[in-house]
Amino acid sequence: MRYGYITFRSITFAQRGQRALQRGGIESALLRTPGALSERGCGYCLRIRPKKLERAICLLRDEQAAFSRVLVQRENGELEERET
Amino acid sequence: MIYLDHGATSWPKPAAVRYAVNRAMRMGGNPGRGGHRAAMWAADAVYRCREAAGQFFDAAPEQVVFTGSCTHGLNMAIRTLVRPGDRVVISGFEHNAVTRPLHGLRAEIITAGRRLFDWEDTLCSWEAALQKKPTAAVFTHISNVFGYILPVEEMARLCVVYGVPFILDCAQSAGVYPVKLRASGADFIAMPGHKGLLGPQGTGILLCARRPEPLLMGGTGSASRQQEMPEELPDRGEAGTLNVPGICGVAAGIARLSHLEPGLVAKREAELASTVARGLARLNCRVFCGAHQGGVLSFLPPEVDCERAAASFAERGIALRAGLHCAPLAHESAGTLDTGTLRISFGPDSTENQTERFLRTAAALFRKKR
Repeated sequence: MRYGYITFRSITFAQRGQRALQRGGIESALLRTPGALSERGCGYCLRIRPKKLERAICLLRDEQAAFSRVLVQRENGELEERET
Repeated sequence: MIYLDHGATSWPKPAAVRYAVNRAMRMGGNPGRGGHRAAMWAADAVYRCREAAGQFFDAAPEQVVFTGSCTHGLNMAIRTLVRPGDRVVISGFEHNAVTRPLHGLRAEIITAGRRLFDWEDTLCSWEAALQKKPTAAVFTHISNVFGYILPVEEMARLCVVYGVPFILDCAQSAGVYPVKLRASGADFIAMPGHKGLLGPQGTGILLCARRPEPLLMGGTGSASRQQEMPEELPDRGEAGTLNVPGICGVAAGIARLSHLEPGLVAKREAELASTVARGLARLNCRVFCGAHQGGVLSFLPPEVDCERAAASFAERGIALRAGLHCAPLAHESAGTLDTGTLRISFGPDSTENQTERFLRTAAALFRKKR
């Protein structure tokens, strides 16, 4: 299954983001950010179904839940950064 | 034991708090350090406490910085706002947790408002002091010695009017009186987790309306490659492993308080203090009481050293505190620096029966001395 990932600067921001998405009806998994994606070293991300990604970004912005990067898994499994 | 020392720490802790601490020790790993079940359980528990504290104190979850104590939070806040030699305004009733860091910074301290239970004097002095263009102001909500409830809303408003950033010490008020970060205009509000919030010792909260300067630097579980502490809250103020069992205990304490009728605890404590004040006055004690008094009361027994009196009460199963209560400035303001005082401080479960038994014991003890 392919996923989208939204990374955050801290676990607290990721948790705040997860709550915001829950309120908006979007389920997400709170995970450690894969090493290759973590620019500053050590972080957490939310894993979301790709079709929910756009709405998730809107919800996070509406609730001022600051996030860092948005990445989507391609068919070949590689991650592609999405401009936000 | 009749426990009348809630100003030092609440006791006994509610069963729900003890359960929460125990459960955290069984279930929780280190939050923000791993992705496994134990770490994520702890992370979720800590965030729930941030959310609960944020709701309780009108702050965003990330503005809730967990500390080891109110003193820890005050030090962090003071070192954020005050540079060595800066001019700082404080009230006449501050604890050593405020005066010692300021002394360590060689701050030029202006003490404003030294008359107990006198709002007019406090506010007049406060405004005059703010006109001297201090760098910051630090003031307590309730004196830990005398229970004097300072006019903090108006003091805060004056700080905002004069453009003076300020720190509010809610050591004796958090969990008892309304404390709201956003509404107050405070830059920082510090509190212990183990007094009015009913949590275990080793816990505290610093509510941050602005970014603090870190008191401790170290691992935060975030941005590990960079050597500067993270800019964002709460990580900037939380280096090292959090006291997860303690935080879970604080969360349980806040949950308990959230179910109580607002103002009920404050009203009951003030009534008990008033009852005890009248009773002690009839025993020829010098009692420090007045308008704007919370659930803390100081008194001087007739012809007895305070420490010996406290020991006599302890022998009879009554716990109160004697001495300077880590607040020599407050005693200086009230004229009790040489003697200290005996202090009674009530909690949410203190009862009229306990105060009646205390007064009977006091009568027996003080009558012997005549």
